[in-house]
Amino acid sequence: MQKIIGMMILIAGASQFAMASTAPVPEIGVGSASSALALISGAMLVLRGRRK
Amino acid sequence: MLPQLTIRQSAANDSSFGLFPRLLALTILFAVELLLISVWLDDAALISRGGLLGLAGHWGAWAVRGIVGFAAIFVTFAYLKSKAALTEISHQVKPLPVNLRLLAGHAVAMAVFGSASWALYGNHVGGSATGPVTLIWFLSGVCGIVLGAFAFMPRLLWARIIHDTGHLWAYTLLAVIFACVAGGYSRVLWQPSSRLTYALVKSLLGLFVSGIIANPATMHLGTTKFAVEIAPECSGYEGVGLILVFGVVWLWFFRDECRFPRALILIPAGVVIMYLLNAARITGLILIGNAGATRVALGGFHSQAGWIAFNAVALGFSLAARRLPWLTNTGHTMTAVAEPSTDSSDNSAATYLLPFLTILAVGMVTAAASRDFQWLYPLRFFAAAGALWFLRKRYAAVDWSFGWFGPAMGVLAFAIWLGMDALLNTRTHDAIPDALAGTTPAIRATWIAFRVLAAVITVPIAEELAFRGFLIRRFISADIEAVPPQSFTWLGLGITSVAFGILHGNLWFAGILAGLLYAWALLRRGRIGEAIVAHATTNALLAAYVLLFDKWHLW
Repeated sequence: MQKIIGMMILIAGASQFAMASTAPVPEIGVGSASSALALISGAMLVLRGRRK
Repeated sequence: MLPQLTIRQSAANDSSFGLFPRLLALTILFAVELLLISVWLDDAALISRGGLLGLAGHWGAWAVRGIVGFAAIFVTFAYLKSKAALTEISHQVKPLPVNLRLLAGHAVAMAVFGSASWALYGNHVGGSATGPVTLIWFLSGVCGIVLGAFAFMPRLLWARIIHDTGHLWAYTLLAVIFACVAGGYSRVLWQPSSRLTYALVKSLLGLFVSGIIANPATMHLGTTKFAVEIAPECSGYEGVGLILVFGVVWLWFFRDECRFPRALILIPAGVVIMYLLNAARITGLILIGNAGATRVALGGFHSQAGWIAFNAVALGFSLAARRLPWLTNTGHTMTAVAEPSTDSSDNSAATYLLPFLTILAVGMVTAAASRDFQWLYPLRFFAAAGALWFLRKRYAAVDWSFGWFGPAMGVLAFAIWLGMDALLNTRTHDAIPDALAGTTPAIRATWIAFRVLAAVITVPIAEELAFRGFLIRRFISADIEAVPPQSFTWLGLGITSVAFGILHGNLWFAGILAGLLYAWALLRRGRIGEAIVAHATTNALLAAYVLLFDKWHLW
């Protein structure tokens, strides 16, 4: 799980640069970042958990 | 493994102050101070003022991004690659008290920094005094950071962390500088990329509608009813950048499971699919607008579709990397996927996380299908209730009981929530949303009823099962059912509370504190019911406060 958390931390860090522009209608809305990253990290935990 | 970072069974009574609790305390201290001072920090106000101050205005945001990025990369890789060294350092720092003199020095420096911020950002200083005050502002900020860091951990141990993690600091610094420079220069590529996107969208649009209006000079594209300008920012770079980071980090972290060099194909495949999905997103946006739902197209769909695409591609990447026999060497095959995949009986992650993930997924989809008001919110309630009902037999071992402590923590979290809201002044408008006010009383009452039901029942159950029921114990063992419910690690407690807080938007710090209080409710007796009731109490009080005092900005 540490790796998945590490991945999300790095992606969240990278998203700062990806979303550095303050476009009025961005491709990736910063407001939804936390929910989206929580969803993908949770999904990865479930997928990897199935193999135990 | 870090003994004091990954703690131990029944650690609630262990007062040791190892490396991770110190880093957590330091992070919280810095976050609170930044939060308080950020009331005055508006870089745009400085850019026009020139000199050292203008420089701060231009580069302030990038500096903060750089510091956060450096911390994220360094901590992640230091933990993953140098656990043994950090364990040793943690042992050494344990008996050392926090240096109160340095902490006092930190407080003084931050007070000076706060005062200088007020003077500079509030335009309370001008003329020849601006230069010296800017210098004081900069030096006091640096001193505050250094003194705070040394108060929690001696200088020599910081040096040891740098030394024992090899050249990680240099690689991290290079990565951050590269990201800053690349982030700035990538805009040069926006123009050609947006032209390709324009051509793709035009082709896709032609499959669905006739009479396309296209002006390559202004990059306008659409129909007679609805057209958009494909701006350089919409060229697909953001999604491509994120999937690139995701793919590279995945292949590095899980390199033992991947069959190289074949697995490398996933990176260009992910990038191309993400790029194409961005074109599909813009096409969908135009089609939705053309169908008459202009506000849906420019509202929820525009802001959510990018993330939905990223999640889909990232999930597909993970599945392909792990399940396609051509790409993986773990022995997991597509045949295995065909086995009872919906059976969560051997997967505690599914049992505890699915209700929460359902809320997130349905929330993203309903937000994408909404205008400026989430009429479809009740679907979140039904989806979460359905997931909980579907998994109900798996919760037989869960202790749902509670006493007075849970509700007490809930009331405390509610008070903190209101206090932070007042402090940060997050209010944009207090009145009931126009869409809700303008509908019939029956529809309004129904929507509010489901909003309250979700806040008080499904959301607390789903979030507490995920954060306090699963994640805290998952930091101790993959077999969470074998972990006593009162066990925790400081690492798990810190990360779950921070993640919980971040999900609560502007009031993220109140969310962190609420998460810690709910965790306390759980850990005191080892009953998840206590944490659920604490959470439900907070949400019920917030709902009452919103409805009774017309404080709709809190919803």
